[in-house]
Amino acid sequence: MAIKIIVMMKQVPDAEEIFIDPVKFTLNRAQARGIINPSDENALECALKIKDQTGAEITVLSMGPPAAESAIIECMGRGADRGVLVTDRVFAAADTYATSLTLAASVKNLGEFDLIIAGESTTDSGTGHVGPGVAEFLGIDQATYCTSLHIENDALVAERDLEDGTEVVSIGLPALATVLISSNIPRRAKLRLKIDALRKGIEKWDHDTLKLPPEWVGIKGSPTVVGALKIPEERKRAAKRITVDQLGELVKELGGMGLIKTEEEEA
Amino acid sequence: MTDLVGCIAPEKLEEYRNVFVYLENRNGKISRGALEMLGKGKEISVKLNEKVVGIAIGQDLKAVADEAASFGCDLILGAELSDFNGFSSVAYTNIISDFIFEQKPNIFLISGSREGRDLVSRIAVKCKTGVAADCIELDGDPTNRLLIAWRPSFGDKTIDQILCRKHRPQMITSRPGSYKLPEKVEKPDCETRIKKVKVGKLVAKHKILEFKPKTRLDLTSSKIIVSGGLGIGGPKGFEPIRKLAKELEGEVGASRPVVDLGWIPYEHQVGQTGQTVRPKLYIAAGISGKIQHIVGMKASETIIAINTDPDAPIVKYSDYFINADAGKAVAKLADEIRKYKKAHLVEADSEQTA
Repeated sequence: MAIKIIVMMKQVPDAEEIFIDPVKFTLNRAQARGIINPSDENALECALKIKDQTGAEITVLSMGPPAAESAIIECMGRGADRGVLVTDRVFAAADTYATSLTLAASVKNLGEFDLIIAGESTTDSGTGHVGPGVAEFLGIDQATYCTSLHIENDALVAERDLEDGTEVVSIGLPALATVLISSNIPRRAKLRLKIDALRKGIEKWDHDTLKLPPEWVGIKGSPTVVGALKIPEERKRAAKRITVDQLGELVKELGGMGLIKTEEEEA
Repeated sequence: MTDLVGCIAPEKLEEYRNVFVYLENRNGKISRGALEMLGKGKEISVKLNEKVVGIAIGQDLKAVADEAASFGCDLILGAELSDFNGFSSVAYTNIISDFIFEQKPNIFLISGSREGRDLVSRIAVKCKTGVAADCIELDGDPTNRLLIAWRPSFGDKTIDQILCRKHRPQMITSRPGSYKLPEKVEKPDCETRIKKVKVGKLVAKHKILEFKPKTRLDLTSSKIIVSGGLGIGGPKGFEPIRKLAKELEGEVGASRPVVDLGWIPYEHQVGQTGQTVRPKLYIAAGISGKIQHIVGMKASETIIAINTDPDAPIVKYSDYFINADAGKAVAKLADEIRKYKKAHLVEADSEQTA
């Protein structure tokens, strides 16, 4: 039987300009165009490679506003079999605890699975905490910072990129892996698959579907809060304008500051 | 496994005392990031009139305990693994959570290294508390015994204060390099309690098959860094940058977008999700200066920015601003340095002959 893979994907804002709600101190994502979070594209690609080699049933799971549907359809256009969007106003402004809880409840609602794959972190908050948080809620082992994944017997064999080297680890299934952006090059969607996906549609779940009380999720279920915002106090710097023709002068200044080593000084 | 329940807060917050610091270690040495956390932990514990407690897991913890004591640790709780050699987030989460349940710490600081980031949210979920990731400023509020943590917000010019008011411990991570290394204390006064722990059952299916060590570029102690961003135009844009770095005997850095695009490996990335650097000279070529980059390099002594956009955010963070194409200006700068060196040598020679 084909193994069951869940890819956790988040739609993130693409625009450079992000708007902050001045009252609630939350991000207003509505004004930016949404894209698939970059490393989640690599997570999906890892799943699709396993599907190419040995067959797999891939479900894309995403939590976000209704507009995230388009990102799920895109994933199905690349080869995912099923799409689930966990969407509900009460999920808004969740921190990593509440997000991990909601996603873990969604995974349980999907039933049995062998492997969850997610991007290493998102570009919009970048904590990298949600994957391991979900793994803890589900009580499964994890391999983070992966650059390659494959299934051997009943185990996941992963290469993990660490500060001081590469670890090759084998962990029992079911398990969760997070992958780095450098792990592969994501494929493009196929028009035919995308049309199929649009026809098939995605499933939408809310807190009732997941039997999660509203006080456990979203901003109410989040232990951390943003207390205040500040504009960074910076050391004032001169930003002295230098033209390309004046670079010789600049180099002399740098030399005067002892920043340019000459062989004489080294001797 | 943790029950799927909401983040229920403890009733008696006043029971929670002291500052935990995770002493990430390898081969008997505490990691740089963990030492920075120990320094911060000490500061905050003094302010809150609490103790700083080091949490260490590993094989032989004697050296780790001595090093932590020398940096002012008040108590060290160690777990020596008798049946597993290596790191497993499941096993480590269990051991650390047991220390938390038993000791009820108020605050827990963990370095935002790969190991720290792998662990921290599992611990937070298990202990039903929150984490603020990648903080750049930490302070203690003695009145409310709160940890005041600041982290750059997404996408813009603000820094968010993250509070964990009702849940304990209050957990945070900071990237290695975010703070200066602490000073050693004159008279270490530290109690060490090390227990033997078996984790065999937890790691029965967790097998580390191979570890290929590799020396990774460490920019945190570099004196001179020349970094490239999107404005250098492509992977080839790093050629003049490398030449300039070589001329200056410095290292090559990069902004996140060019690393994400695969123009240069991650080990060169400077910024919130890369390395935090504080060189004598930082040259930002074709980098617009998003806050995520700025927080990783603003502690540099002298900053030169090169950008075609005179209104780029990087300008106000620079001591010198060159409004020009990054590639051309970088190449010219390298030429001028060569000339300077030559002239300098000639001068030196003529002085010698004279």
